[in-house]
Parts: sequence; C-alpha cells; structure tokens
Amino acid sequence: MRAVHRVQSVGMGEATTWRDGALTVSAEEAQALVSAPCLADVRVSWASPGDSVRIVKVLDVVEPRTKGPGGAGVFPGWIDGAPADGPTHVLRTAAVVVAGYLPRAQEAVIDMSGPAAELSPFGGTHNLVIEFTPGPGADWADVDDALRRGSLALAARLAEAALDAPPDSEESLADPGPVDGLPRIGAVTNLQTQGLFKDVFVRGESFNGRAPALIDPAEIDDGAVVSGQYGHPSLRNPTWVHQNHPVANALRARHGRDLAFAGVVLAPEPVSASEKARISAEAARLCADAGFDAVILTKEGGGNADADVALKMDALEDMGIAAIGLFAEMAGPDGTGPPIVVAPERATAMISTGNYDTRLDLPEMERALGGEELALLGVPATSAMQLPTAVILASLSPLGWGRLTCAQDG
Amino acid sequence: MARIVHYLNQFFIGAGGEDAAASPPASQPGPVGPGRRLAQLLGDEHEIVATVSCGDDDAAGRPEAIAEIVALVQEAQPDLVVAGPAFTSGRYGLACARVAAAAKAAGLDAVAAMHPDNPGIDEAGAAPVVASGEAARLMGPALDTLSAAVKKILAGEALTDADGLVGLAPRLPRMADRSAAERAVDLALARLAGDREATEVPLPRFDKVTPAPPVEDLARATVAIVTEGALVPDDNPGALESARATKWLRYSLAGRDELKPGEWRSVHGGFSTVWANADPHRILPLDAARQLERDGAIGHLHEEYLVTAGNGTSVANARRFGVEWAADLRHSGARAAILTAT
Amino acid sequence: MERAGIPTALLCNLTSIAERVGAPRIVPTRGIPFPAGDPSLDPEEERAWRLRLLERALEAVSTPVHEPTLFEVK
Repeated sequence: MRAVHRVQSVGMGEATTWRDGALTVSAEEAQALVSAPCLADVRVSWASPGDSVRIVKVLDVVEPRTKGPGGAGVFPGWIDGAPADGPTHVLRTAAVVVAGYLPRAQEAVIDMSGPAAELSPFGGTHNLVIEFTPGPGADWADVDDALRRGSLALAARLAEAALDAPPDSEESLADPGPVDGLPRIGAVTNLQTQGLFKDVFVRGESFNGRAPALIDPAEIDDGAVVSGQYGHPSLRNPTWVHQNHPVANALRARHGRDLAFAGVVLAPEPVSASEKARISAEAARLCADAGFDAVILTKEGGGNADADVALKMDALEDMGIAAIGLFAEMAGPDGTGPPIVVAPERATAMISTGNYDTRLDLPEMERALGGEELALLGVPATSAMQLPTAVILASLSPLGWGRLTCAQDG
Repeated sequence: MARIVHYLNQFFIGAGGEDAAASPPASQPGPVGPGRRLAQLLGDEHEIVATVSCGDDDAAGRPEAIAEIVALVQEAQPDLVVAGPAFTSGRYGLACARVAAAAKAAGLDAVAAMHPDNPGIDEAGAAPVVASGEAARLMGPALDTLSAAVKKILAGEALTDADGLVGLAPRLPRMADRSAAERAVDLALARLAGDREATEVPLPRFDKVTPAPPVEDLARATVAIVTEGALVPDDNPGALESARATKWLRYSLAGRDELKPGEWRSVHGGFSTVWANADPHRILPLDAARQLERDGAIGHLHEEYLVTAGNGTSVANARRFGVEWAADLRHSGARAAILTAT
Repeated sequence: MERAGIPTALLCNLTSIAERVGAPRIVPTRGIPFPAGDPSLDPEEERAWRLRLLERALEAVSTPVHEPTLFEVK
C-alpha cells in the first residue's frame, strides 16, 4: 500500500515541513544529512518544472519515501531504519537529485523547461538538487558512497515530513500470483553491475556476480534496488525509476483484469559472452519454473546490454514463453542506421523506447546546477546547445517509463 | 508552380553508353529524355526546370562528384529533386541514391527511383525511394509510379508501401500515447493471443537472394574463382586495403597451374594470414581447379580471378562489388563461380 | 552474382551467417584462415581435401536450390 502525497509547491525554510501539498526544506538539516568527512561542502537548492534551469552532471535521483521516522522500512542496507509494516508514504513529483563531477560518470542532463523537459522523468519533478565539493584528497569511491547514503537519508527525511498528513490517494499494490484463467506475465529486470560508478545495489550490496533471482516487487517499491550506475545517461535507471518500476506497475494495474502479475526477476548484466549466455539461460529457466507465460524484459546500458535482453528473449521463446524486449534504437541522426545493436534471432517482439541519436535543440537557460560547464561540448552549462537524446537522463528509459519511441511513416 | 530538378545519367540524357560513363556533372535547362514524359505526367502545376546529369563512373566513383551535382541542382532552386529511375543499374542507382541523400541533407526535398534489388536502395539517407521495374523497357510504369510519388511529396504527404516506397524508411522520433511499459504489456497480451508479427522494431532486413538456375553442362562451362581473402601478388601492386576495402582487383591466371608461396600474399586484416601465405591455394585453389579442368569436370577455368578483402566491408560496398563482379563475369562468359570466404 | 544468373558456391566457415544473409549455395570449410585448405593434414591429404571441396562446389552450382542450402563434403 502506498500513501501518496502530491507535491504542489516547494521552498526553503527554517524547518522541514509538509503542509497541504507544500514541501518546505531546511537547507541546514538537508546539508547535515548529506555531510561526510570526504565532502568539503554540500549545497541544496530547488529546481521545479517550468524553471529556466538546466541540471548537468546528474548522478542519482531518489523519490522521497518512508514507512516511518528515521527511514523505517526503506532503502534496506543503506539506512539503519527499523523494519516496518504499514503503508509506504510517497512524496510524488518530488525528487532528490545529486549533481556534480565524478570520474567516469557520463555527463547527464535534465532540462526543467524546453523540448527536453518532457523527455526525462525529472523534467516533471520538483527536484531538491544536492551539489557538492569533495574534500581535499578525498577518495572518489568514498565521495560516491557518502552522496548515496546522504541522498537516501534525505529522501526518507522528506517523506517523513508527511507521515501525519492525510494522503491524497492510496494505492494498493497487488502481490504477484496466479489468477484463474488469466495469462501469467512477469518481468525480468537486468541490472548493470560493472563496478565502481557503474554498479547497481540490491539491499545494499552490489548485484555483480549474483544469480538471477525472484524479488518481491514490494521490496523494489521500498528501495531495495539502488543505482550507483552513471554510464549512458539516457539508458540508465536511477533509483527513482526502480522505485517507480514502470513494468511492474503496468502489470499490477491490470492484475486480475486481463492478466496475472507473475513476478519480477532481477539479473546482472555480465561482460563476457559466455557469462551472458549462462545467466540468460538461468534467468529463462527461473521464469519457466515460476510459471510465467510471458515475460517483459528490460535492460540498462547500450548495445552490450542489448545482448542480455536478446539472449534471454531467444532462450524464453525456445521454451515456448512469449518474450517482449524493450530496446532503445541507435539509428543515427537521420534514423536510417540499423536500429538494434544486438537483436534477438528467434524472438521478434520488441518495444522501441526511442532513438539515441536524435538531435535536440535546447534553449539557453537562466541557471545551471551541478556544474558551470557542459564538459561534453565545452560550453557554459546555461548556453543554448544541440545535444543528442543520448545525453538526457533516462530519456530512452529502458525500464519503460517514457512515451518516446520511433516509428516509420508509411 | 513547383520547380523540379531531374537527375539522369549519361545514357538517359543521350550522351552515350559506357563510353560516356566518365563524363562530369553538367546541367541543362528543362526536361531531357524520360524527363519529358515525366513532365507530361506531372502536368501544369509542376515544371522540370533543369536536368542535371553525370556519367555513372564519375558519380559513383569520384568522391567529390555528388557535392558538385548537388551544387548544380541548387542553382536551379528546386522545390524537389528527382533522381532516376535507375532500374537495376548498380552504379546509376548508387548515384541516384546518394544525390537524393545529399540533397535531403542540404535541406531540399528529394526522391529516387530504382528496382528494389538495386544496391543503391539503402544509400538514400532520409530521402524516400520508390520502386521501378528491372529495365528501361519498363520506363512507362516506372514514371507513373514516380510522378504519383512526386505529387504526393509536393502535397506534403508521406509515402507508403502503396506508393511503391522501398528501401530503408527512417525511424523517426515520436511520442506515443502511453509509456513503453504499458505498450509492452499490450504487446505481451497480443503475443499470447497468437499474434506472431506485432513488434515496434522490425528485425534487420536481409536481401532476399533468388538463387540462379544451376549450370546445365559443367563440362563445357567456364567457371571462375573469386575471393574475399585478399590474395594478391606479393607486392600488392593494386594497393588493396586490409580492411574497409573500397575496391576490388583482378589478376591473371593464364599459363599458371599453381601459385607459389612468396609470389602471393593475403593482405586481409581479419585473420592470421600465416597459413594462406605458406600455401596460397588455401585461399585460391588454383591447383585443384586446374585438375578439374584436366579431368574434364569443367570446360575452362576463367583466365582471371577477382579479389577483394572481406574485412569490415561496408554492406553498400560489398553489394556494389557483387554487382560489378556479376557484370564482369557475365561479360567474360563465366557461367558459375566459386567464392572463397574467410 | 546469383541474381545476375551466375550460380555461386560460397566456401565459408561461418555457415550460420551465410544462411542468415541468404546465400543459396554454401560449402562449409574447415577454418577461416584457410577456406580451401586444412593445415592439420599433410600436404598430399590437404590437396585431396581441396579437390573434394571443389568437386562439392561444382555439385552445388549444378544443383537447383530454393533457399540457403549446405553442401557438405562427405
């Protein structure tokens, strides 16, 4: 069950409070929650939908959620909150956004207005942006870890402010399970687990080297999957997207009507061909054993990750299980290049989440957060610029959040 | 009144055949050759204001030619550029496609016409390509299709299969009415209901190759050996590239029964050439072929072999080489080929 | 070349790719670096293998086919 609180307006103030849709944040408290020895300085500010603001060098994004005070029941493995029952309180259309330079992080952009705003989930959220300066001689891995712990703690703290307020709506979360006579459809969620700055955590631990496993989708809702993955901006899934797992939610919405939501399998994305094949075969067997009639597969990353989806799709089709894969296309700026880097051979049902290479003309902005320069082009971050869709955070959402797609006229 | 510039090759403007294939880009006012019929079909609302032409070898072979052609096109200030029909003529089709692609990239509307098997079909970039028959005797129906397509494009409408649209259709960004996740659920239900076709992304399209009829009388036939194993005389006099080959070469086998190691070498960059260089027959089986000739299993071994390097060759170039090898072998009377691949 | 009416025997090692792109007459070879050879054999045996390979290739170009077909050397 989710207790959903809709954020109507945001601001800074003396204390962190929630009243009638207005979220006020104490900058001092927020900074204290994120502070750590390896961070010399932490600054927070708001960027809201429609603002003339560009956020660059975006790292992770987290949705404010908690079950109780002190981060109870959310982000296991990161926050020492007590386990809790009861609804998960959600501040919908708010987000904690970490932005700043980390080595090997591919520069990701969120525009709060203009043509790119609707392409990212976070062009439509009230973003509490955390900017930071690493301490002298600080280890980057420590900086990354501190930012993660801090942003998760801050996200939980914001939701805590709404604990006593009546929610705007309540959403019940259907548990996966069979329903008489209805086809059982599950999800396989591939996580990119390539080490420092390219890792995804489940219950606080890297999923690298793990076997494919079923996970209770309610756990994902409560932050069991946390992203430390800063690769392809358009093709990565920040924590917020896992919390709002689009495929699980789409299946839940129809559970009992025309399908039975059958469950979610998590799988790592190995980097060797033989490992990919092995993990894919295991994941397919797991789906078969779990009784899935059809599977919707998602990925994280570029062409390499296509292979993880394609191999599983073929393995599932060979077992007589229908497989649907979500793919982003890399069809070149004019859309005529071969779209899919590694396509399945026998399975053929693919959803397109858009073209990586489509050019966007972005307007000049009044303010930039996360950095003064867009390193990609070597220009001031507030400049008008042309960028490929590839740079907009989560725009080709491989987890299926977005409405962006490709079509051929005629 | 819509202004149209028509691109034709040397043959269709009446400048000659292969002898004029090297002629450079040129422009003349009004419609020429098949352009006259095209102008008639288009009617009073459209005018072919200029015809730009170029020899096929120049257009398809000299890198600067396309830009020069487009410059001539732009001088006539067209609303639309029409290239072809090229039928199955490989070099002409490539030229038409590239002219259309370059015109489109320069901000002009463009359309090309050729047979679906023409290797140019995938090089038109963002410009649409409509189908023609195989040969110039089918000019009438080709122009019917082309003129209808021209009218549609100038009216701002998109072409579809029904208009004869062939080749690569660009994947254009769109905002769907629902999220990808929601569409995936629909697609899953469609698949479960038995729909094997539904998908948002078509699988890679490979050409349908219609097999040639078999050779009837091998004992009297000339057979050619061709290779992508990049076997060339030891000093590589033709400068064949080791990768991304842009050319193919031919070398004489006349009077030879064998290939001696040290006189030949593979310059292929895609595999270890140690074994090939130790015994060139491993790439070009001349010794066995001569044996078959002596035994009467074949009539003759073709006097030359054709060679390129099949390492990272672009699909477009590979297609072009195939078209050119086919033309070359037919011209020389070879009835079958053995292609060694690495 | 097939389209132009010249039946062509493709001697290659990665036969699944040949099938996928639609080559109609495919003769499997023993290795990428030596399509018409086999260095693991002694020279006389290798020549004999080469001859059998070409004989099979000749069979392929004299046989009607409708779709990608493998002509293996027995």
